Amino acid sequence: MTKSKWYGFLVMTLASLLVLSGVAMAQTTLTIWAVDGLELDDPHAYYVQSMVRNFTADNPDITLDWVAFGTEGAALNNRVRVALAANQGPDIFQSWGGTFMGEFARMGKLLDLTDDLADVATSEAAKSAMSYDGKVYGIAPFFAIAGLYVNEEVFEKLELEVPTTMAELEAVCEVLVANDIQPFAVGARDEWPILATYMYLVNRYGGNIFEDAVAREVRFDADPFVQAGLKIQEWSGRGFFGPTPMSEGYGDAQLLMQTGQAALQLSGSWLCGLYADANQTDQTIGFYSVPILEGGVGSATDLMGMTDVGFVATSTAASKKDAVVRFLTYAMSVEAAEKEAGRVASIPGVDPPNRLTGMASDVFTQAETIQFWWDQNLPPALTNPINLTIQSFLMQDTDVKAELGRYEILVEDELGRVQ
Amino acid sequence: MRRNLAHGPEQFAAPKAQRRLGVSAVVVHVVLVILALIVVSPLLIPFFFTFKTPLEFAYNPWGLPEQLRWTNFETAWKMVRIGEGLLNSAKVCLGTVLFTVPPAAMAGYVFAFYRSRITNILFYVVMAGFFVPVHMVLIPLYQFTTSIGINNSFPGVFLPLSAFGIPFWTIIYRSFYTGLPKELVEAGRIDGAGHFTVFMRIIFPMAKPATVLAVLLSFMGGWSDFIIGLIMLSSQSKFTMQLRISQFIGNLGANYFPQYAAGVIISSLPTILLYLMFYKYIIQGTTLAGAIKG
Amino acid sequence: MAVPQTIARKKKRDWYGLGFITLFLLPALVILGAFMFYPIKETFRLSFMRSSGFGEEIYVGWLNYQRIFASPEFRQGFINVFTWAFWSVVIQIPLAFFIAFTCVNFRTRLIGRLRGVYYLSNVLPSAITAMLGVFIFSPTSGVIKTFAKSVGWQWLERIDFLGDPNIAFWSLFSLATWAYIGFGIIYLMANIEQIPSQIREAALIDGATQLQYAWRIVIPYVSYALRVQAILATVGSIKLFDLPYMVTLGGPRNATVTLGITLYREAFLNWQYGRGAAIGVIIFLICLAITVLQFAFVNNADTTSEVF
Repeated sequence: MTKSKWYGFLVMTLASLLVLSGVAMAQTTLTIWAVDGLELDDPHAYYVQSMVRNFTADNPDITLDWVAFGTEGAALNNRVRVALAANQGPDIFQSWGGTFMGEFARMGKLLDLTDDLADVATSEAAKSAMSYDGKVYGIAPFFAIAGLYVNEEVFEKLELEVPTTMAELEAVCEVLVANDIQPFAVGARDEWPILATYMYLVNRYGGNIFEDAVAREVRFDADPFVQAGLKIQEWSGRGFFGPTPMSEGYGDAQLLMQTGQAALQLSGSWLCGLYADANQTDQTIGFYSVPILEGGVGSATDLMGMTDVGFVATSTAASKKDAVVRFLTYAMSVEAAEKEAGRVASIPGVDPPNRLTGMASDVFTQAETIQFWWDQNLPPALTNPINLTIQSFLMQDTDVKAELGRYEILVEDELGRVQ
Repeated sequence: MRRNLAHGPEQFAAPKAQRRLGVSAVVVHVVLVILALIVVSPLLIPFFFTFKTPLEFAYNPWGLPEQLRWTNFETAWKMVRIGEGLLNSAKVCLGTVLFTVPPAAMAGYVFAFYRSRITNILFYVVMAGFFVPVHMVLIPLYQFTTSIGINNSFPGVFLPLSAFGIPFWTIIYRSFYTGLPKELVEAGRIDGAGHFTVFMRIIFPMAKPATVLAVLLSFMGGWSDFIIGLIMLSSQSKFTMQLRISQFIGNLGANYFPQYAAGVIISSLPTILLYLMFYKYIIQGTTLAGAIKG
Repeated sequence: MAVPQTIARKKKRDWYGLGFITLFLLPALVILGAFMFYPIKETFRLSFMRSSGFGEEIYVGWLNYQRIFASPEFRQGFINVFTWAFWSVVIQIPLAFFIAFTCVNFRTRLIGRLRGVYYLSNVLPSAITAMLGVFIFSPTSGVIKTFAKSVGWQWLERIDFLGDPNIAFWSLFSLATWAYIGFGIIYLMANIEQIPSQIREAALIDGATQLQYAWRIVIPYVSYALRVQAILATVGSIKLFDLPYMVTLGGPRNATVTLGITLYREAFLNWQYGRGAAIGVIIFLICLAITVLQFAFVNNADTTSEVF
């Protein structure tokens, strides 16, 4: 090209770039990293799909760049961690609160939204889960609690009552074993599923002693911890977790419940959507609170739970704070949460989508204390080890007290010794 | 073992029917067939799942499906967005091949024929790259690629993949070159060929099986990669096939194996077909047209 | 490491040759330098720190290494990977050789068609191989369990493939053999094909059986390739992560834990990035030691020709 043509071309390019950037400036783009994709044809993705759709329609000046990672291999968590370590990352990402969120907050990677979200109506538990050191970093539209899933058809057929005490529970399990039905579906091969059971047993034996242990007033091999561990070992030996709890995966456990081969499952309310879906199961399953121990410390209103779906914002989005707050506020609205197929909402005014979720919501509203999942409420170095420790209780040749003692040493390294 | 025998072009004409059609041959055949079945049958597992509804799958994972339901394929096809996914994976694979095979072929050549203390040490240095487990370097690797600006781009994926492939293929190439007759190289040099010509005209063409192997396997390695793609890419539009189907294995509470199985089949089919088309060239061996004289 | 000394060195330096060598090594070294060695150096440095990977680093000297060597999980992982390496060499390589040899030397139509099949299992990404493994060994709905139930083989039904600490290792090992042996087969096939037919015919004329032919002639001929295979298998075993992690997560009470899994746990689950880096360094050094031993121990007599 000739020189003049070159210049002309250059000027035109610059001009159009300016115009385009001018147009772009009116648009804010929020990059959001989440678990479920927008094209998934699964009920558990309906909430995010409709929320994104409605929000984009109502807020044309905000573009949502939604990236889904699934939960294959904790992909999202690793990805976020690596990205934030290099100061790159999304504006908003899906988070379950607790200490992992807290670690990010401590490093200054998250946006403090205490004031901006002060008006958003939510449950205390949800708010507390998404807070760290007194500051609120995100929202939790759905909160999961752990309870007892009961196959009501099987119970009716065997003329069993839903147990309210441990003694009744054990009696029920014996009947189930005698009738060739696996009492508990656990899925302990994946390490974490047995945690909820252990948390409840510790509570029933010793109350909310976990918080005391973390505050270093009590050792992790104190009596309630050991008793709970021994109880799990005993139940495993009696076949209450099936013949092979250590090789049963979480997916296997779900299949057992879906086909009525197992009658009980102590797990979180995130399964409500699955177990209420006629495409997934033809069994009638109910959600009940976990039995208490007669003579024990914990009560039926002591619940275990944590964020089911939550979002936090990163400090790289500070310049877009307004858009971020608008998105998070909408995510906490009744309109958005209505499309959810099964999770328990921590937003007032949302009707449960089905009977099972309704039962879980009822249990949730009666809660007086809520303990967060231990593997998300401890310093990171102690989270995987506690799951491994608890998982080992299912094997008959494990020395429960010794294992807990070993864990106590790890805790001492991180948090210091007991006073 | 003297190996300076003249190689004739008829080297690989199939010998006339083995007269040993005795017991050993039959036993060998049976064993090979059984092994082949063992290799192939797990690959059929997804096909048992994809045609079922979730409920059907829950009750009867291993029976034949009631009917051939294609809905799972449709969903997976849509979800995976096959056009985009194929293209992205292909870009990553092409880049991986380009940046793995030539460097490995060249380095392997030097390490095989130009031995000295320095090159031996360098060979160990290159080989050391093979000793590295991926997770060990993920975070520094990410920080590095970000600092040079190639994160969330395809080079950001295939360059690290090449870095993991080069040590392996250099070892393979070197071992392959070492098995080739040195006389060829000497003859070539005597005839006045320069270093480069010896490589391009004599040695490299003879290493064709290694090259076909390297190209094919690097390509397939790039296709199967998950962890590097996951860490380096952050735009949905750039996601490779493996990342897309992992989005299926969704939530803790989901159990959508029939759909996931469809995704698995869709994403694995290209590499399997590619392999079936090209494996002959690997096994064929070299055809030494133009024997050495003397 | 002995330095081969077969050709008297020329007094004059061959600059053109040097240039050529540099040029040919440059691409590999540049790519490796940037994307492999720099991260490795960082990892070595971080192994002496306590770090969560976020940039905050506290120098702790050898503490990470001390803690690692003292932990029973590491010791179990160490034993496991070496056991895995041993069996890989003892089981997988002979099996690969058997398949490669028979495919090359029994040239029937059937085998001609079968030859390509054995690599198919290698084509899959490890996540999918792991998923298939789970579906084969699952205690509730796996193939083996379902098969055992339908034919009434109680003994088979009772085997807990993934939950029994003694058996889990072998379940994973067989899965890995299925998945990874294909490469060895193809590589050995390509090497065995190189044997000149005159040698084979001479052996036949001399009345050798296939077995003698294989043992006396073929194996020595491809011995270098076999040694390369052994190194690849051993190093692969030391690094092993994917299958044990995705199928058993380290196995019932660490029965199938590997060094790679411990690395992942420390670096990504426990946010002890320094400790993870230290394990990475240990893996690296073990592989290096094994390889050096292998190459130094057996000096290759047929690689002494120098064209320089």
